[in-house]
Amino acid sequence: MVEIRFHSLGGQGAVTLINMLAQAGDLVGRKVQAFPFFGAERRGAPVMCFLRMDDKEIALRSQIYKPDFLVIMSPSLIDAAIEEGTKEGTTVLINMAEEEARSRTADLPFAVYSVDATPIALDLGMEVEGLPVVNIAFLGAVSYMTELVPLEAVTEVLREKMPPSRVEASMEAARRGFTSVVEIRKSKAASRKERKSAVS
Amino acid sequence: MRLVDTGNHIAAHAVRLSHVEVVSAYPITPQTQVIEEISRFISEGEMDCEYIPVESEHSAMAAMIGSASMGVRSFSATSSHGLAYMHELLHWAAGIRLPMVMVNVNRAMGPGWNIWCDHQDTLAARDTGWIQLHCASHQEVLDTVIQAFRISEDPLVTLPVMVCYDAIVISHNYMQVEIPEQETVDKFLPPFRSMWKLDFKHPFTHGSVIYPDDYEEVRYSMFEALESARDVIKKAASEYESAVGGYHGGLIETYQMEDADVALVAMGSIASEGRVAVDELRRKGHKCGLVRVRSYRPFPMQELRDVLSDLRAVMIIDRAISFGMEGPLYSEVKAVLYGKSDAEVYNLVTGLGGRDVTFEMIVENTEAALKGKMEQMSTWPTVRMNEHHMVSRRGLEEFWKEGSAQ
Repeated sequence: MVEIRFHSLGGQGAVTLINMLAQAGDLVGRKVQAFPFFGAERRGAPVMCFLRMDDKEIALRSQIYKPDFLVIMSPSLIDAAIEEGTKEGTTVLINMAEEEARSRTADLPFAVYSVDATPIALDLGMEVEGLPVVNIAFLGAVSYMTELVPLEAVTEVLREKMPPSRVEASMEAARRGFTSVVEIRKSKAASRKERKSAVS
Repeated sequence: MRLVDTGNHIAAHAVRLSHVEVVSAYPITPQTQVIEEISRFISEGEMDCEYIPVESEHSAMAAMIGSASMGVRSFSATSSHGLAYMHELLHWAAGIRLPMVMVNVNRAMGPGWNIWCDHQDTLAARDTGWIQLHCASHQEVLDTVIQAFRISEDPLVTLPVMVCYDAIVISHNYMQVEIPEQETVDKFLPPFRSMWKLDFKHPFTHGSVIYPDDYEEVRYSMFEALESARDVIKKAASEYESAVGGYHGGLIETYQMEDADVALVAMGSIASEGRVAVDELRRKGHKCGLVRVRSYRPFPMQELRDVLSDLRAVMIIDRAISFGMEGPLYSEVKAVLYGKSDAEVYNLVTGLGGRDVTFEMIVENTEAALKGKMEQMSTWPTVRMNEHHMVSRRGLEEFWKEGSAQ
């Protein structure tokens, strides 16, 4: 089983993100579970989301405290995200430009990857009331990072779920997210290329 | 068709497949998605159903009582304070023996205001005469809502059924579910044939004043109907399995109980997490199993005696508290075992207001009980009184001291 925890701000679209990842996981035959922890349901409030994928039925119903992947969708949430629980071997994906990610995450004992998702969202007009909606870029980035769902499955979900007028831009955002993940730091564990996915 | 969707949307699909003709409901978190999805089905022509938007849960149940009295298959959904607000009418619906189904998404009662899961709302509605079925998975939500109409409308029962599942953990969780074909469901669930209905041409009175000469007989008939419901629920589950597919137990569901000498007993999503706890306890050498109470009313008295009586120890997990007593499920399991069993009986009261319940916590506390490090009484394993909580307690103590000095 692979467990992923997401930390985001209300309005960034994390609940939609985990839904779409779950749909993509289903397309490639995985058992999936995706659920949010709502704090205050308003724009800008911290939101935690959880995603599990496995090859067999998932009986767990609790939150994820030892994630295989920790996805931090806003730099303001780094400390809160780590405080919520990690394990040896947790891999972090953070929404940040490469240089900033190198300096801001220098002390973290994890493998760290970054994706600069905000410019992708803004460039493609994904913005609601001044807040960039980075979820679709992250859809691609998480697909790349975790290798749980291929980009083709992600784009198929977008084709099905997005309003027709937004399909092209969404697929482009996912593609850019997928191709712009940068490896900031290796941990003792293997990097993406060397690692074998925990779910075969 | 396989769907990945929230427990709430899955419940709406079950309502659609059950050819419900009247839905009357008032939105309340975390149930709202159920009636939103039903509204969408109706507006897009996927359901031929009258949706009555009411101004409160009290009216929602009143409208349901009206539509069910006209012999129409009726559904509502609510949660927490919504269920509490319609409490009076829960008695009415059961008392005049109206078949209907309602989803209650188990949510904590305020204050403090809380939208997360526990079973306090549902268990407070225990003695209204409703049948209560508790689900642990998305598939079970779908299958149980459909079964609930058959159970409710069975001539031996004719009582309302509440289908309960946990807030957020199931209601807002996306998981896979097999949605059966309409024709398949139709074979299992025939159209509703009401035993009586209001008729302007032949007016009569129903649910009027009953003097002491007759009241006990009316209540006894409700008692008997809930007794009959035991077999009806089991039959609905097994016939659903053969007609549609999918089985989640009758009154109870067991896991790894064949050779067990220790059992966990729980309801709802904790019973699913509990399976992982059982696997872990077995890995550590304990012969542990799990019994999930699926039907809370009628309570599985004989079934629980059959599986628990000969065990060494039983750990009952409550997601509610009867203030001034103990965990309600604990009380009831003990009552069922009284005089029939020498098993040690332990109780965890946990998961209130959405406090996360992990298999690790269950394993740790079960092991503590098995090592004799726990009293046979209600234990609150996840309470952590911190400085912030203690401030109000100390404030009270100061106040008491001052009060006694005067």
